[in-house]
Amino acid sequence: MSKRILIWGSTVLVLVGFVAGLAYLAKQDAAKKPSDTGSPTRAADVTASDWTKGPADARVTLIEYSDLQCPACGFFYPIVKQVSTEYGDRVRFAYRHFPLRQIHKNAELAARATEAAGKQGKFWEMHDLLFEKQSSWAQELAPTLLFMNYATSIGLDGEKFLSDFVLPEVRANVESDYQSGLDAKVEGTPTFFLNGFRISNPQSYDEFKSVIERALAPQS
Amino acid sequence: MPHNLRWFPVTLLLVSLVGFLDAAYLAAKHFLGLPVVCTFLGGCGTVTTSRFSVIAGIPVALLGACYYLVVFLLVVAYFDTKRNSLMVMAARLTPVGFLASLWFVFVQAFLLKAWCLYCLVSAVTSTILFVVALIYFFQCKKHEPTETS
Repeated sequence: MSKRILIWGSTVLVLVGFVAGLAYLAKQDAAKKPSDTGSPTRAADVTASDWTKGPADARVTLIEYSDLQCPACGFFYPIVKQVSTEYGDRVRFAYRHFPLRQIHKNAELAARATEAAGKQGKFWEMHDLLFEKQSSWAQELAPTLLFMNYATSIGLDGEKFLSDFVLPEVRANVESDYQSGLDAKVEGTPTFFLNGFRISNPQSYDEFKSVIERALAPQS
Repeated sequence: MPHNLRWFPVTLLLVSLVGFLDAAYLAAKHFLGLPVVCTFLGGCGTVTTSRFSVIAGIPVALLGACYYLVVFLLVVAYFDTKRNSLMVMAARLTPVGFLASLWFVFVQAFLLKAWCLYCLVSAVTSTILFVVALIYFFQCKKHEPTETS
């Protein structure tokens, strides 16, 4: 009888101990993130591997984590574009992929389409086109051919586009953006970081403009 | 159980515990709503948030944890009662885990083309369980043909 208690008692102890340890570990990983230590959430600095517009030495950098299939990102697209046209000489923009794969089945493929277009020097053209035509491809079962048609319509070599589309390197670029988003605690799209710090999404062009103006204003 | 078969329950016990901890970690991450990030083979985020990570609303990590826990408890019960039927029951469960792992390795290799370290650990533990169970059945047949029934 005492052996029996020993066997089951130690089993319960081992299981409870390990599970408690695991739950602690799982939470601990999250606690390491900067936002939990009191400082605001930061995004990784812009590097040469990022897709950027605007001067590299700009005093203001805006990073957008976005999903090409997300309607909210589509809503922000013309606003961000207008801001980038107006402040293109003073503000640097970086676009990072954060495909919400669970709810947007074509988001990952679309992200890869922009990366593949980028290999022929037309990342931004494809990025713009995909946002403009979001509703035509979002629900496609197999959007790859459609993407290739878009690629040829903006003057890309369709065959090269398709072969780049499946490159491990292209997938890896999307994945590393996604992982950097996770590290920066991005939870939804779009998420904007101004000079590395997360900002709450401005709700209109004018709001966006004033956020940028404030960042550009000389520090007093 | 013949003397030279004593290592089977011990192996099943230890390996199922490792598998349980691995799957429970992923399940905990899922329920805490925290992303799984791994430094080695950076695909954990892709794999654990993919559409293959949930079956009918239940995260597969939880199913995996339950599977390992059942095997583990059956072996503990065997140590307690020394009834061979419990070992046989545990051994008969192992093809389930093995086939599930084959499917998930296939998903990672060909459908997602991304690898998740924690999922691969589970593939290894379920394969070990299956192989050990196979050897167990063969050895039992050799020693005492009637024992497994």
